[in-house]
Amino acid sequence: MVENMNMQSSKNEIGGQQKAITPKMRARKVNVYYGENHALKDINLDINPNEVTALIGPSGCGKSTFLRSLNRMNDIIDICRVEGTITLDGEDINNKSIDVVQLRARIGMVFQKPNPFPKSIYDNIAYGPRIHGIANNKHELDEIVHSSLKKAGLWNEVHDRLDASGTSLSGGQQQRLCIARTIAIEPEVILMDEPCSALDPIATAVIEELIDELKNRYAIVIVTHSMQQAARISQKTAFFHLGKLMEHGDTATIFTNPTHQKTRDYITGRYG
Amino acid sequence: MSAYLLFIILTLILTCFYYIAKKRSLLLVDGDIKKLHSLPTHYGWAAGINSFIPGFIILAIWTISKDNLINKLLISQLETESASLPTFELNALLSNIKNYIANGTGDESLAVYAEYYRNVSEKIAWSFFLAAIGVSCISGYYTLYKMSPTVNSRNHIETIIKMMLLAFSVIAIITTIGIVFSLLFESIRFFDQVSITEFVFGIKWSPQTAIRIDQVGSSGAFGAVPLFMGTMLITVIAMLIAGPIGLLSAIYMAEFANKKVRKIAKPLLEILAGIPTVVYGFIAALVVAPFIRDTGALFGLEIASESALAAGIVMGVMIIPLISSLSDDVISVVPQSLREGSLGLGATQTETILKVILPSALPGVVGALLLATSRAIGETMIVVMAAGMAANLTINPLEAVTTVTVQIVALLTGDQEFASSKTLSAFALGLALFFTTLALNAIALIIVKKYREQYD
Amino acid sequence: MTDTSDNDQAITRVIWHSDEQKNRLKSRYRKEKIFKFFAVSSLAAAMAALVVVLGSIIITGSSGFIETRIEMDIFLDKAVLGDLPTDDRQEYEKQVAGANINRILVSSLQREFPDVTKRSDVFELLRLFSVGAQTDIRDVILKDPSVIGKTIPINLLASSNVDMLIKGNISRDVAENDRKISDQQIAWIDKLNNDGKVTQGFNWSFFVSGDSREPELAGIWSATIGSFLTLLVTFLIAFPIGVGSAIYLEEFAPKNRITDLIEININNLAAVPSIIFGLLGLAIFINYINLPRSAPLVGGLTLALMTLPTIIITARAALKAVPPSIKEAAIGLGASHMQTVFHHVLPLSMPGILTGSIIGMAQALGETAPLIMIGMVAFIVDTPGSIMEASTALPVQVYLWADSPERGFLEKTSAAIMVLLAFLIIMNGLAIWLRQKFEKKW
Repeated sequence: MVENMNMQSSKNEIGGQQKAITPKMRARKVNVYYGENHALKDINLDINPNEVTALIGPSGCGKSTFLRSLNRMNDIIDICRVEGTITLDGEDINNKSIDVVQLRARIGMVFQKPNPFPKSIYDNIAYGPRIHGIANNKHELDEIVHSSLKKAGLWNEVHDRLDASGTSLSGGQQQRLCIARTIAIEPEVILMDEPCSALDPIATAVIEELIDELKNRYAIVIVTHSMQQAARISQKTAFFHLGKLMEHGDTATIFTNPTHQKTRDYITGRYG
Repeated sequence: MSAYLLFIILTLILTCFYYIAKKRSLLLVDGDIKKLHSLPTHYGWAAGINSFIPGFIILAIWTISKDNLINKLLISQLETESASLPTFELNALLSNIKNYIANGTGDESLAVYAEYYRNVSEKIAWSFFLAAIGVSCISGYYTLYKMSPTVNSRNHIETIIKMMLLAFSVIAIITTIGIVFSLLFESIRFFDQVSITEFVFGIKWSPQTAIRIDQVGSSGAFGAVPLFMGTMLITVIAMLIAGPIGLLSAIYMAEFANKKVRKIAKPLLEILAGIPTVVYGFIAALVVAPFIRDTGALFGLEIASESALAAGIVMGVMIIPLISSLSDDVISVVPQSLREGSLGLGATQTETILKVILPSALPGVVGALLLATSRAIGETMIVVMAAGMAANLTINPLEAVTTVTVQIVALLTGDQEFASSKTLSAFALGLALFFTTLALNAIALIIVKKYREQYD
Repeated sequence: MTDTSDNDQAITRVIWHSDEQKNRLKSRYRKEKIFKFFAVSSLAAAMAALVVVLGSIIITGSSGFIETRIEMDIFLDKAVLGDLPTDDRQEYEKQVAGANINRILVSSLQREFPDVTKRSDVFELLRLFSVGAQTDIRDVILKDPSVIGKTIPINLLASSNVDMLIKGNISRDVAENDRKISDQQIAWIDKLNNDGKVTQGFNWSFFVSGDSREPELAGIWSATIGSFLTLLVTFLIAFPIGVGSAIYLEEFAPKNRITDLIEININNLAAVPSIIFGLLGLAIFINYINLPRSAPLVGGLTLALMTLPTIIITARAALKAVPPSIKEAAIGLGASHMQTVFHHVLPLSMPGILTGSIIGMAQALGETAPLIMIGMVAFIVDTPGSIMEASTALPVQVYLWADSPERGFLEKTSAAIMVLLAFLIIMNGLAIWLRQKFEKKW
């Protein structure tokens, strides 16, 4: 039924037509302003569980801004204002009853540049579980660190030096460490902001493989500059242009038969 | 002959050579500037500067050395019994002679020396004068003589300017060397009279030595431990106040405060930093010390009116802006990505600050605290005005203590005979102070530099 | 439809709605609140300290700009003054200067208070007035010779004790022996006050006179001039040398160990305690080169060495801020490196350099300890006429007055501090203005 999900899907759902999958997150009429600058205009997009949704588009099109709205990371920017509704499992994330700290624990984020804390590998992973009180004892914490590193495919490389600083790892390893750090608190959604842009092709391939595996457990939203990457790893693709969501739907459809001329131009590399 | 006059003459010579050389350069090529390697003004400057510099060097030597030179000649001229007088009496005699020359007052017996002084100083002045002018003219003429259209005058001038700029930047090093040598030199003289072990380990400080042997209390005690302890006590109090307040203010402004608060609070903190230390000293003595004493009296505590606490608190206030601005720099070096990484994991701001930002910024913060400590140790006016003079060996902040800087000021104010152990001990204290603060600064700067490089 | 819960089973997610998590969240937010409270209190404490410092200065100092005068009918007795040659101005001034004004004042006071006869009482009465009161009388005679022989009202400067009483700084409730002014004197003052003879006015002489042992006569003019001359020397030496070093280090210095050494040296020098510079000045400039003690020249030299690192560091930052593209453009046109620097880089960075230099100068203006070391703490009444004459400086004047036991000097100290702070504010304001006016966005 994944094939059924074309760009009309959101309209269909608004129309009340029952679909097999309930979206994990839903954005409706999202507008974002940076001071005077209208950065995002009326975005409507659904994020499905166990899928990778790729956000593509030329630089400055607002895809990263949209990503950061999903876990309210824009809150920390003074001049940023978000309007419209974004829901997680039907709850409005901007609602007062939703706690932003818990929200961000539920929606993990991986950043463009690997940003391990200047602490040991162990402490990097244990950071999230510790602040959220997830582990009841040292043994459980060890277990979480172990399993997170395993899931992130890093265990074999670092199991003998968990005390080494996170910053001593290579770029690709650092990024996997950040992913491990994120999944250590078992989020429901993982947001990735160009996670491979600072990495070499080999490290990128490893991360892409990892993302493919992770989608079995989490809903993943990934911002990427690389068309090939979007095509390789995503099931859904959304094309942003100048703050607008031009087109979204199945990755296969978008890449083979885009509706908009702009999308076609971008995908074929005319600009971007 | 005054140095000013010579300077003016040298400048005139410079101007002359400038114009002559400029003219001559044009004559050499019959007015066709293109044939010249450099611009005519370059030739002008080259000749002018070449004439000026040697003359100016002689002028400088004269200005710096003339007093010493004339003094030496005078001393050699004084009758043998006078010449073998102790230094300070000899100096007194010399100043009497000079006074006689200047005002015509004093003992008539000095007239002969005055006459000699006038003669000698005039002769020396004239010889320097003529030497300077002569060398200047010769050097300028030589440049003119060597001038040709192919001479690269511009490079010549630029080399001279470059050398001058280099000389300027070397002044910083000379200053350091000057500090080290002047302190070291006088300290060595001091340690001839008082043993180093007494100074470093002695616990009695009472520098009142008698100038004449028949005075009472002629043997002073120079154990500096009470001063070191006093300095440490006040510094610790200051850091206990300024450390947390400065650091937390910086954290508040960097992480919590909105733009508006920052825009108001930062300049206000800068005002606090810009208040002269003498004002803090006044406040310590006028407001804080009486307040502490009265508060203590309420609880039946007897607190000295020059308690270490009062000086320490005010010094702490003085250091707050230093710590907060240094910490602010250090905290802002922590990359935003670490903040976002932590917040993205669902950490609160406080958790992010305490568990990610501060640990990451730790070396920088330590560096800032070390710099502030060094500043507190070397601070003078607050303690001079609010701390005591009595060298008590105590760690009770309610008692009066004295510090290294207080003693340096006390030992060197008023008319002193320069070579006494009392005055010389001030230089020994200065030496200790200099190396302590230097070590702290150097360590702090290295730590902060390494820390910054980590995130560059 | 496919059931996705197959995958979910492997995941043990935190139940965010659980009581445990809710409590945990509560305690985390409580910690956040406490920490934020501490942080904001720290900032508030710093601000409060600023308020205390400035507040106590203003409270104790504002009255320092006010002086108290007592109007008295003064009989300018010809018998006392003698025959003054009114037609020869020079001779007239000379004789007035030598006239026994004290006697005129005493006899006029006795006429005003006929019941005061005892010598000691007369003396007490006289002590209501400053020694400056004689100058007031003398000035009247000098101004207009025709007043001689007449009785005219003259506004005489009151003594510091009277001034303090009127300003409320001396309490009447204190036992007579514990205050500087006797009951009898208070009674006289009250009588004069009731008659409307006691007036308060702006203390101009505070700005135009030098130091004095009498608080009511003391002023800051000579200290201000001393500070000015000192700063002048400091600027003339530190600015060219500082900018020169900055240019060399930033533009010409080869990357080698000597350059590194100079750099480390400058950074360290910037943090050397100021009193050490004072010791340097004392040992080198005074004891070795034999420059005059207490003179602005030595003070200026000492402060110049102290300010040098600040100027070098800020000037380098300003030079660095000039974009390389401008340099490349000049070099591309065939200018030499030196020409590029002096024609383009230096002028463009001048506002930044000046800003840093002014801030350095402001620091030097407030500096006290090194000046004390080189002997600028002497009691100096006269205004220094050159940089070689003994002088004091504003902050040192503050220090000297703060040390004086007389109650009257307290407000003078604070008033002098206010003037000092005003200068600092002007200088820093100028620096900020410069920075904003010439701030370039490359």
